[in-house]
Amino acid sequence: MNYLDYVQMTKGQRFAYNIKSFFTGIPGAIVKLFVVIGNFLKNVFSFIVTGFKNYGSRFAKGDIGTKLSYVVMGAGNMMHGQIGKGICFLAAEIAYFAFMINFGWSYITKIYATNVQVDENTLVNGVIGKEPPIYQEDSVFGGSKKVINLDTLDNSNKVLLFFVMTVIVCIAFFAIYITNTKSAYATQKTLAEGKKPIGFIAELKMFLDERFHVTLLTLPILLLILFTILPIIFTIFMAFTNYDKEHQPPGNMYWWVGFANFADVFYSNPLKSQTFGKILIWTLVWAVFATFTNYIFGIILALLINKKEIRFKAFWRTMFVITAAVPQFVTLLLMRLILSDDGAVNSLLQGAGLPVIPFLSDATAARITVIVVNMWVGIPYTMLITSGLLMNIPEDLYESARIDGANAFQQFTKITFPYIFFVTTPYLITTFVGNINNFNVIYFLTGGGPSPSSYYQAGQTDLLVTWLYKLTVNSSDFNLASVIGIIVFVVCAAGSLITFNMSKASKNEEEFS
Amino acid sequence: MVSKSKRVLALVLTAMMASAALAGCGPTEVTQTQNSTAGETTESKAAGDSAESGDGESKASAEAVDIYSDEMIKNVKDKMKEEAAQTDGVISLKVWCSGDDLQFEKKLIKEFEEKYKSDDGSYSFKIKASGAIGEDNAGGKIIESPQDGADVFNFADDQLSTLVEAKAIAQVSDVFQNNLIANNTEDAVGVCSINGTPYAFPKTSDNGYFLYYDKRVFKDDSEVASFDDMIQKANSNKKSVYFNLTNGWYNAGVYFTAGVKIEYKDGKQTTTFDSDEGLAAAKAMCHLAESSDKGFLGTAGSSGDNAAVQKGFKEGTLAAAVIGTWMGPAIKEAIGEENVGAAKLPTILINGEQKQTESFGGYKIVGVNQFSKYQITSQALAYFLTNPESQLKRYNERGLIPTSNEALADEKVKVDPALKAINDQKAYAHAQGKSVSGVFWASNVGGFGGEIVAAKGKIDDAALKKSLKDLDEQINK
Amino acid sequence: MTNSKSSIQGGYAAKKKAVNTLVYVILTVMVIIWIFPILWLIMQSFRGESGISTSYFFPKEWTFDNYKRLFVEVDDAGNVLPLDEMRFPYLRWILNTLLVATLSCVISTLFILMVSYTLSRLRFKSRKTFLNLGLILGMFPGFMSMAATYSIMEIFGLKQQLIALVIVYSAGAGLGYQVAKGFFDTIPRSLDEAAKIDGATRNQIFWRIILPLSKPIIVYTALTTFTGPWADYIFVSYFMKDNSDNYTVALGLYSMLGNQTISEYFTVFCAGAVLIAIPITILFVVMQRFYVAGVTGGAVKG
Repeated sequence: MNYLDYVQMTKGQRFAYNIKSFFTGIPGAIVKLFVVIGNFLKNVFSFIVTGFKNYGSRFAKGDIGTKLSYVVMGAGNMMHGQIGKGICFLAAEIAYFAFMINFGWSYITKIYATNVQVDENTLVNGVIGKEPPIYQEDSVFGGSKKVINLDTLDNSNKVLLFFVMTVIVCIAFFAIYITNTKSAYATQKTLAEGKKPIGFIAELKMFLDERFHVTLLTLPILLLILFTILPIIFTIFMAFTNYDKEHQPPGNMYWWVGFANFADVFYSNPLKSQTFGKILIWTLVWAVFATFTNYIFGIILALLINKKEIRFKAFWRTMFVITAAVPQFVTLLLMRLILSDDGAVNSLLQGAGLPVIPFLSDATAARITVIVVNMWVGIPYTMLITSGLLMNIPEDLYESARIDGANAFQQFTKITFPYIFFVTTPYLITTFVGNINNFNVIYFLTGGGPSPSSYYQAGQTDLLVTWLYKLTVNSSDFNLASVIGIIVFVVCAAGSLITFNMSKASKNEEEFS
Repeated sequence: MVSKSKRVLALVLTAMMASAALAGCGPTEVTQTQNSTAGETTESKAAGDSAESGDGESKASAEAVDIYSDEMIKNVKDKMKEEAAQTDGVISLKVWCSGDDLQFEKKLIKEFEEKYKSDDGSYSFKIKASGAIGEDNAGGKIIESPQDGADVFNFADDQLSTLVEAKAIAQVSDVFQNNLIANNTEDAVGVCSINGTPYAFPKTSDNGYFLYYDKRVFKDDSEVASFDDMIQKANSNKKSVYFNLTNGWYNAGVYFTAGVKIEYKDGKQTTTFDSDEGLAAAKAMCHLAESSDKGFLGTAGSSGDNAAVQKGFKEGTLAAAVIGTWMGPAIKEAIGEENVGAAKLPTILINGEQKQTESFGGYKIVGVNQFSKYQITSQALAYFLTNPESQLKRYNERGLIPTSNEALADEKVKVDPALKAINDQKAYAHAQGKSVSGVFWASNVGGFGGEIVAAKGKIDDAALKKSLKDLDEQINK
Repeated sequence: MTNSKSSIQGGYAAKKKAVNTLVYVILTVMVIIWIFPILWLIMQSFRGESGISTSYFFPKEWTFDNYKRLFVEVDDAGNVLPLDEMRFPYLRWILNTLLVATLSCVISTLFILMVSYTLSRLRFKSRKTFLNLGLILGMFPGFMSMAATYSIMEIFGLKQQLIALVIVYSAGAGLGYQVAKGFFDTIPRSLDEAAKIDGATRNQIFWRIILPLSKPIIVYTALTTFTGPWADYIFVSYFMKDNSDNYTVALGLYSMLGNQTISEYFTVFCAGAVLIAIPITILFVVMQRFYVAGVTGGAVKG
């Protein structure tokens, strides 16, 4: 279909076309996911190869200044007349080497220490950090007290963290270094063409215009690297160590164990792998139910409120919105107390001579309870969003449908629902991912329980993320927690990439309009 | 004897001061040799103490010194001044204690600050007590990040061995060691020591559970002999007997009774849940759980033990509860002091036989963070919080049973029904520190009990066995 | 003819009326279900009897004491305790939360606008990489790396500080560009072009032309980033640990429900919850149209 065909369609036809292309796109999107991954790898590979090729050819074609800048950064710029920029490059180089000599290098050497005596009779290879913490005799007030000096201690956590930091600094420096050689060569060419290279002030001014994106992105990205990317890399590394209850710095060290933790979770440790399997399945079941119950009932509620003849629309909407606005932990804790075995509902039931319902203490009941309570929490949101959308549906669509003799139900399935579904797909995806990561509802309502003995550190309503949280906070299984984190990432990423590509396929419309 | 030991101590102190001064510039070896001799002397002294401390009279114990004599206070103050110097004259300490005790402990801390106030204003205290980290998980939090941990922290005795393994808790300084040994019961000192070295200060001896009952339902101790009879009687009064099976700390008692081994030795946790004894224990719990809603309450619901017990007695739905001294005041308030009875645990039906229910018995103790900048101040504070006088105050205000011989000899403490119940239960109580470690608590022992309660005991043997096997697997790595 | 027509219309109208009545009934029932827990919360906050739950709805003894106890604590001797000595210093939590929420709201909103504007309207070489990177990073569970983040805060000397929370809430803000980017995508590019012809730099275009047009999305971003800290429990509990001076409202209120304090403080908890719910609810109800506009990425205009 080309542009001409598209613009000639009526509004209704365009709409139908978009919907159709969305659904027919699903299988294609899955295939495309793999193509995307393949392309990505190809791009990375070619990027590296051409990078090296250009790096070499620049050196070969460069004059003295350019060649010198391969060792002394900024030399080329300075010799070609860009003093200010050259000094900046040189300063970066000096700062980098000062950093590496005084700080960075030692952590690179400490990341895999061999033959470390971790206790009286064990030598281990691959320990993170070089010297095990040993009590030093110290004279504290009359006796044989022993203390450890925290400041001088080689702490596995510290070493790993500083190692990651050093690596990031190295990568950043490498990028600056390459820019330096490029810049030296570029100015050389400008001179050869008989022009004058751009001045330092003029170049700075570019950051407010041509390079404004650099100005806007620098601070957010710096913080992102420091407080999001760095911790994530650090945590991913943890998945390959034995950082658990028995190996907690600073008192003890931990070391590399390869893929042992992944093996534990997937097959080698029956208890952990069974727990993982059950929790993974429940997480997916939960995410599907939690997402679609809210979605469908939210739409129905919105339809009811927005029915033409219904009055006091704002009142009804506000009533529901109030529950969405009260902070979740409050309402959820409240629900827990209301629904517990000795809570308000059961007190009422008992008062009426009825048996107690184990809303939260029986596995199946608890699972149903969390889904139902999640509806209570989530339906107002969907209602709010779809209410707005319903008013947006062009009235002429309904007109023509009515002329064709469609009844109310048909109008809903043919017009209303497809439209809403189409517009809210991104919202649906984020809700689904959000539900996979829905910590609040589970943690505050059931705390993951009930917890039978066949679960390791978890209960029957635990999701992967609440399990992760418990492993971190309750049982100090940091390595296992980080394995789970990686798995959650993979699940979410795969799901999202597929749907993302799908919505891209159907978003052609954006380019037309 | 007292004066002699004082002299020895003063000598050691002077040597330490000198060596500490030397350590600043000279080789550390000097310090170390002196230390080790000092260590030896104190160790031999300690051995003498513990042999003598059995007689229960701390005053008579030869090696105890008066920590609060002018001379000793001055020595400690000098040291505090030194410690304060590293942080501009301010000693800022963090103390962790149970949220319940917070107000009380704060009062003690104020007294401590008064006692060790700087004479020349060269240092000041900034001590912050927090009830955010309770005694049940303080140890774990200290190990996780000792540098963020409290300088002085209250915790349950079973966390001691892991704290020592993680090198996170400081040894008791020699200054206080003798007094600690002399003041407290032998048992308490043993619990606070690892391989003969004291690491913590005993605070209370009641970290265990026994039976509180309502005398209006059960006349006296003879009517609380067995769970079965109690449940029946409670049911006929439309009340319940509370025994929280959903918590591993309580239901471990049933396993102990059946003969299951739960041991913690040399850093290794072993359990034998997957055995005939384990099955017998599980079935005994099932038997109790069958009476759920008919005179038995096996779960705390969502609000936790304390709230469930308080509410139960207040609203008259509970006739008896397996719980500890910390709930004593609340139960007294709920049903009136004259109606509160306390006894050892009743018998439980195991393999068709009524057996005395066993339990955990333990101590709550106070430790000093290995990484604290103010070792002596912290030790002095920990000692102050647990000295006989403070223990007695704690008993009077909080109802917690002391560990010091002197406080235990107090007239009011002696006749406390809770103390009698604890003593009666003692023969059936297992020391927590020798039985369990963090791995045990991290397992789903409580969750399994929860399953039994939720199913009202209707679980077949095969399923029970499977669960028991899983438990073993979780715990015995 | 007329007769039968009117009877048909009458039947139609009657049916319609019946349907509407049914809808009203359903809506009423649903509102009751939805509002009941909130009403229950309010009732509990006025309850004079202590304890966690009652088997009746209306308190037997009405009191304002629970609200008073949030702000005033009296010791055994009858002295009013200063804020620092209080067991649950509610006022301090509120101030802490207000500080954190305001700062992180300002910083995050700025960051989100900067990033989404750049990715939406400026074209540069690595734009695609940033878009994908943002998507990928957003897939990691938020609190997976909080232990590492805590260590980094420690290096900067910020551990257990409120400023650390501000940083955590706003440092990742750049990742939340999707919604705002969707909005910027809808602003016609011809505006930029015209301005450029007039000699404006991109810096000027951003501040003078685009931002003034972006009120709905600014309000939406500010709203979501401001309300976040009021409800966050995980990060605060991990970052503040025992430092109860720096608790925010969510963690503070949660700490009231500890095993030892729940029966004494449950009604106070309810009072505290009602007090923070009121402003947030009002804010939310007033701003709901912006919220809808934000979530639907401009599909519905605010």
